Amino acid sequence: MIRKIFLCVSILLFTSSYIEAQQTITGTVSDDSGGPLPGVAVVIKNTSNGAITDFDGNYSIEVNPGNVLVFSYIGMATQEKIFNSQRTIDVTLMPDASELSEVIVVGYGTSTRKKLTGSVSVINSESLEMMPSASFQNALQGAAPGLQVNASDGAPGAGFSIRVRGTGSINASNDPLYVVDGIPITSGSVSQTDFGNQERSSNVLASLNPNDIESLVVLKDAASTAIYGSRGANGVVMITTKSGKSGKPSVNIKSRVGISSFAYNNLLKPLNTEQYRELFYEAYENRGRSVERADNDFNSFSPINPETGTYYDTNWIDEMTQSGVTQEVDASVSGGNEKMKYYISGNYFNQDGVVINNVFKRYSTRANFSINLSNRIKFTNNFSFSKFKQRGITDGTLWEAPFYAAILLPPTIPVYDNNGRFYAEHQGIMGASNPVGSLYDNVRDLKQQRVLESFDISYEFIDGLTFKSSWNFDLLTVDEFIYLNGRYGAARNARGRGNVANTSDFNWLGTQSLNYVTHIGENHNLSLFAAYEAQEFERNIIELQAEQFAHPDLTALSIAASPTLAETRSTEYAFNSYFARLNYDYNNTYYLSGSIRRDGSSRFGAEKRWGTFWSIGGGYNISNESFLEDSDVVDLLKLRASYGITGNASIEDFESPALWSFRNRDYINNPGGSQTQASNPLLTWESQSNFNVGLDFSLFNSRIDGSVEYFERVSSDLLLDRKLSLTTGIEEITENTGDMQNTGVEVSLGLDIVKTQDVDVSVNGNITFIDNEITYLPSPIVDGSKRRAEGHDFQEYYLFQWAGVDPENGDPLWYTDETKTTTTNNRREVERFYDGKSATPDFFGGFGLNIRYKRISLGANFNYQFGNYLYNNPGWIIHSEGRFIPRSTSVYAFENRWTTPGQDAIFPRYRAGGNRTSNHRPSSRYLYEGDFIRLKTLSLRYDLPSDILERLEISSLQVYVDLDNVWTWVADKNLPFDPEQTSSGAYNTVTPITKTYSLGVSVGF
Amino acid sequence: MKKINHILLVVIMVFATSCSSDFLDREPSEQIRDEKFLSTLIDYQTAVVGVHNQLQNSNTYGRYFVLVPDVMGEDVKQADDANRGKEWAEYEGDFTHFIPENIWREFYEAINITNQVINSDKYEPIPDDQAAYDQAVGQAHALRALIYFDLVRMYAQPYNYTSDASHMGVPIVTEHNIEGLPSRNTVSEVYDQIIDDFNTGIALMTLEEKQYYMSRQAAQALLSRVYLYKEDYRRAIDLATAVIDDGSYELAEGDDYLRQFLKGESDEAIFEIAYNTTDNPGSDHLGGMYKATGYGDYFPSQDLLDLITDGDIRKTTVDKDPEVPSMFLIDKDGDIRVNKYPSFDATIYTDAIPVIRLSEVYLNRAEARAKASGADRDEAGAQADLNMIRKRGLATAPDVTAIGDALIAEILIERRIELCFEGHRIFDVNRNRQDVVRDDCTSNICTITYPNDRFILPIPDGETDVNPNITQNPGY
Repeated sequence: MIRKIFLCVSILLFTSSYIEAQQTITGTVSDDSGGPLPGVAVVIKNTSNGAITDFDGNYSIEVNPGNVLVFSYIGMATQEKIFNSQRTIDVTLMPDASELSEVIVVGYGTSTRKKLTGSVSVINSESLEMMPSASFQNALQGAAPGLQVNASDGAPGAGFSIRVRGTGSINASNDPLYVVDGIPITSGSVSQTDFGNQERSSNVLASLNPNDIESLVVLKDAASTAIYGSRGANGVVMITTKSGKSGKPSVNIKSRVGISSFAYNNLLKPLNTEQYRELFYEAYENRGRSVERADNDFNSFSPINPETGTYYDTNWIDEMTQSGVTQEVDASVSGGNEKMKYYISGNYFNQDGVVINNVFKRYSTRANFSINLSNRIKFTNNFSFSKFKQRGITDGTLWEAPFYAAILLPPTIPVYDNNGRFYAEHQGIMGASNPVGSLYDNVRDLKQQRVLESFDISYEFIDGLTFKSSWNFDLLTVDEFIYLNGRYGAARNARGRGNVANTSDFNWLGTQSLNYVTHIGENHNLSLFAAYEAQEFERNIIELQAEQFAHPDLTALSIAASPTLAETRSTEYAFNSYFARLNYDYNNTYYLSGSIRRDGSSRFGAEKRWGTFWSIGGGYNISNESFLEDSDVVDLLKLRASYGITGNASIEDFESPALWSFRNRDYINNPGGSQTQASNPLLTWESQSNFNVGLDFSLFNSRIDGSVEYFERVSSDLLLDRKLSLTTGIEEITENTGDMQNTGVEVSLGLDIVKTQDVDVSVNGNITFIDNEITYLPSPIVDGSKRRAEGHDFQEYYLFQWAGVDPENGDPLWYTDETKTTTTNNRREVERFYDGKSATPDFFGGFGLNIRYKRISLGANFNYQFGNYLYNNPGWIIHSEGRFIPRSTSVYAFENRWTTPGQDAIFPRYRAGGNRTSNHRPSSRYLYEGDFIRLKTLSLRYDLPSDILERLEISSLQVYVDLDNVWTWVADKNLPFDPEQTSSGAYNTVTPITKTYSLGVSVGF
Repeated sequence: MKKINHILLVVIMVFATSCSSDFLDREPSEQIRDEKFLSTLIDYQTAVVGVHNQLQNSNTYGRYFVLVPDVMGEDVKQADDANRGKEWAEYEGDFTHFIPENIWREFYEAINITNQVINSDKYEPIPDDQAAYDQAVGQAHALRALIYFDLVRMYAQPYNYTSDASHMGVPIVTEHNIEGLPSRNTVSEVYDQIIDDFNTGIALMTLEEKQYYMSRQAAQALLSRVYLYKEDYRRAIDLATAVIDDGSYELAEGDDYLRQFLKGESDEAIFEIAYNTTDNPGSDHLGGMYKATGYGDYFPSQDLLDLITDGDIRKTTVDKDPEVPSMFLIDKDGDIRVNKYPSFDATIYTDAIPVIRLSEVYLNRAEARAKASGADRDEAGAQADLNMIRKRGLATAPDVTAIGDALIAEILIERRIELCFEGHRIFDVNRNRQDVVRDDCTSNICTITYPNDRFILPIPDGETDVNPNITQNPGY
């Protein structure tokens, strides 16, 4: 029905003709480079009469002598001209230097800082150029208030964990929606294997070349995200790629090379043989075993090095690491004229990780065109192709996870055997894992190819009314290959195991929209937007596995004798949406905006398929009032507020119906099945109400610039798995229950301290305070080290509480209950409780300093996070005081263990088989303060002077030195891993974050 | 201009028609909606295979349900770095541990499948399919009986713990109801349900089955065991005799003894959980708990090794293993490992795991004959049954001469030798009111006396947290 109305409206508008003017003046509006400016509003002051320039910058308008014409255009300084008797008035609009009128890309349109009623952060796109990271997400770190951005793994090409204004959901996704040139694209990990790493280590967004990004904007509140309806709840990251500008072709070539090593100095170190031997004998003695037996057992797995006549002494960390190298070359050409503009680029990015054979290599190209077919018809086409290849490593507690095995494997085990092959004779220890050998003999490859294509055509029926049809396509294929060698490690019993997983996604989105901009009278500015959108997504996966490989040098599955898995899987979803938006302002002083979107999704139950999302926002530009209009101090003082409802539809595609499943339920080659899901026809999206109030200010000619905002995000109808009695045969049912709230304050401030021709000094900073609370939850959910419960932070830890080591006998001690008054060494007498510690930071943000002296500039950017706690997931194994002997442990544990009565120690007595009173369940023994400050980038740049440039016949040349992550401060001096972990605070033996020293050059022709 | 208008008009119309009314109706590609399933005979058979797959799960017969009763006894001891199930070997487990929850969950999932098969009214067989239909429904009944028996053994004290078996059993669920919050039935009620289901199954099943599927004979053999546990010796004897006289089964001799586990489908197997390379669970197979190439967490204890005479065929179920680094050695007898699941190389972890074998049926009958009173008591028969098993192991073994309690004791020792590592030990200890006494003890606890709250597992917190009607076992 709505569609039909839409169609009728379109046709009506289409066929209407425009009003003829009887007396006209004509003219052309151009920009400072002489190019025509289409879309400029030409209004007769104090009247409602106006016109808009066409694609050649021409306008015509009826006027009387003495009328004042006002020419205004986004991003340009407004000009006024008096009509006397001229036949033509040509105007050249100059760019408005002030960032107040800088164009900001928002959902389905653009705005400016002056006009916005919602909360929007703009990321400095310069920071996107030539980063030592494959993904643009790196540039979001510390860059804007409200954004908590952590690299979830330090390996090349790995993912990021990004939260916009906190965690809004328990079970649905908390990742923001990413929109590239209008298309909501697949983000996160689509890998079937992710190298075994639970979506930390692969990142589909690494396909985008950050150098191609013109603008990176984060939409945070309902006024800005409600136009994305059921997908706006986690915030929206708007990415707009570069387009050409009128003028002669401009060529830009950039090149950079960098060297990396670990950023954090206090990482766990493995024991050497002397330390390990001491600990081993001590462990046996503490167990009451004889020295003879210790000798016998120690020698059984510790060979003698024939060259030295003594034990080997392997430092596994040293053996598996190297200096990482990052190289990048980027070339682009852009230019155009009034009929056509273009931007073409190519990029090569290669990163050799700090771990041997941990590599990310990307090739990407982009071609963006826009063509003005006539005054009123415009085509644009943005196309990009990229391919990357990632060779990854595994993490967690898999025996071959390098940062796990390197600590646990005894140093007496050599890297190579007497035949020069990787040593594999320690069959009884961690499956004869060899973390160095695995980097060579095992393969974990991921190849991704992605085509992003958006095509749109717009037609301006009458002045101010534009129809636009956009078609967007996202084609994504991910080919994975995993091979585990048949001699040692996980596949040693299978004579090698190979896995192939091919994932192909096809995602299309079509948006048909009408946009109408008009001016009523002198002071009423109105724009209306309405659209219909359809989206369809399909994913097909082929996965194969085989074992028993004929030859260790060959890894093709065709030479494996035993196929063990052959699967095809597919899934799909569809969305159908109608939406509209209104923006109104009175005299650029009072602003009002409203948006509404109606979304239908195949993911939801038949009875709850459609939902409506909306927002309303208002702004009051106080600085436009007469009493401030001429102020020398205040450039902008604006109060704004918004409220609205958005949704979170990021759940599995088929969670609503009762289902029988058959996958992996076969038995002796006969198909079997089981009922795995109960029906919930009422299943629908999570909804979120968002309140935002903010004050923007700009003082002393923008020398002081900033915003203060307060927000309340209230999530309700949270999707929760309600546990059923296990006797029903079904574990849980997904339902919309549960409420959660995030409230916070964001402050950002920039100061231009010195601003002269030769010297600039500026500082900037932002801070976000956030408070998360689960406000309704029918029953608590224990999830590993945390427990979700009403009245608590979503990320609050719920642990057995460590009371240290008994100085008398070295026993582990525990607090019995939350009064923390009684300690015990009997783990049956202890209970878990909350201790007010959470993985959610109290506050986080970034700050920076920029100094320029003539052509030399120095920039420093820091990011920080305070008040959060980090949990060492494998701590109970790595620091288990002998439970897993003959596995080794860290130097930190070795040096701080209890050995003699009366000693205050951090680690209990080391005993073969472990202490009886050790508690292997989640405990505060493995919890650390997460506060840190990191110097994210420190860069020194030099622009060559123009006389040299002229001699070289180039237009610009910059050389620079960049230092990334070179300095890190942590509050907890005992923290044994990098402070930067995923937002869940869990450490899982991922690759530590690296620091990079790089040298670069950028040339423009 | 007008021409372009027309073109655009057409374009808009095309664009705007992208949505049809079923655009948002999508079907999953790997699952079937509940309302469509169990509407053909093949669906019934698929569901019954699904139950077998549940039994193959590493939490049930695939590993933990078989491992835990053994590590709780005295015939298995653990390595220093044992990790999986160690809490149960040391009697330190609690209701938050994953093993009680996983076994409970997977068994009840299987029960839900059997309930759906038994209760479905979406299919009426045509006459030609009647036997196959009855077979599937009969299998569902017998499998449900087996699973309830396993649950009541694991989570409740044995039948003879109270005089009328009125102590807490497990909840009986026979209908699919996702909001159900059942309380625990008494052990007596659970046994009634088990016996009822086995009898229904025996009556319905008329077709021959491979040993790795539930069959009429398997149901008879298992029901014989149920009666033995229930101390209804006459029925135990009758059903055991029915299986032995059925003629379908024969005791494995010589090399075939070990091969019955390695290859499966032996003449001795009545019901077993089979594996092939497609089903291969890797080290999570029960055998992986014992193998050096797997997790290698558990070893045969000297207590058990001392019971087995050299030359006895059962000695092949333990073996010297040169791959074992000496640090895992057992102090007295060197590098002895469990070899009952001896697969290696290409077929590693495809050993069959017995549910019931003919040798157990003999031992069940021997025990029933020796324990029965009145006319059912048959010590000569019991001796003969015991001799069958003992002399199959070692032809030169002396004839059984013991009578009375000594005879019963010998039968129970023979059970340890014959059925070790097959998940019987703690059940046999508990129902015979014995203590666990570990001489070769690697645990922190070496004597566990009867009666004991901890001879059974706790009801997992995954159940007690959700279901207010369920009562925890005392002592947990």
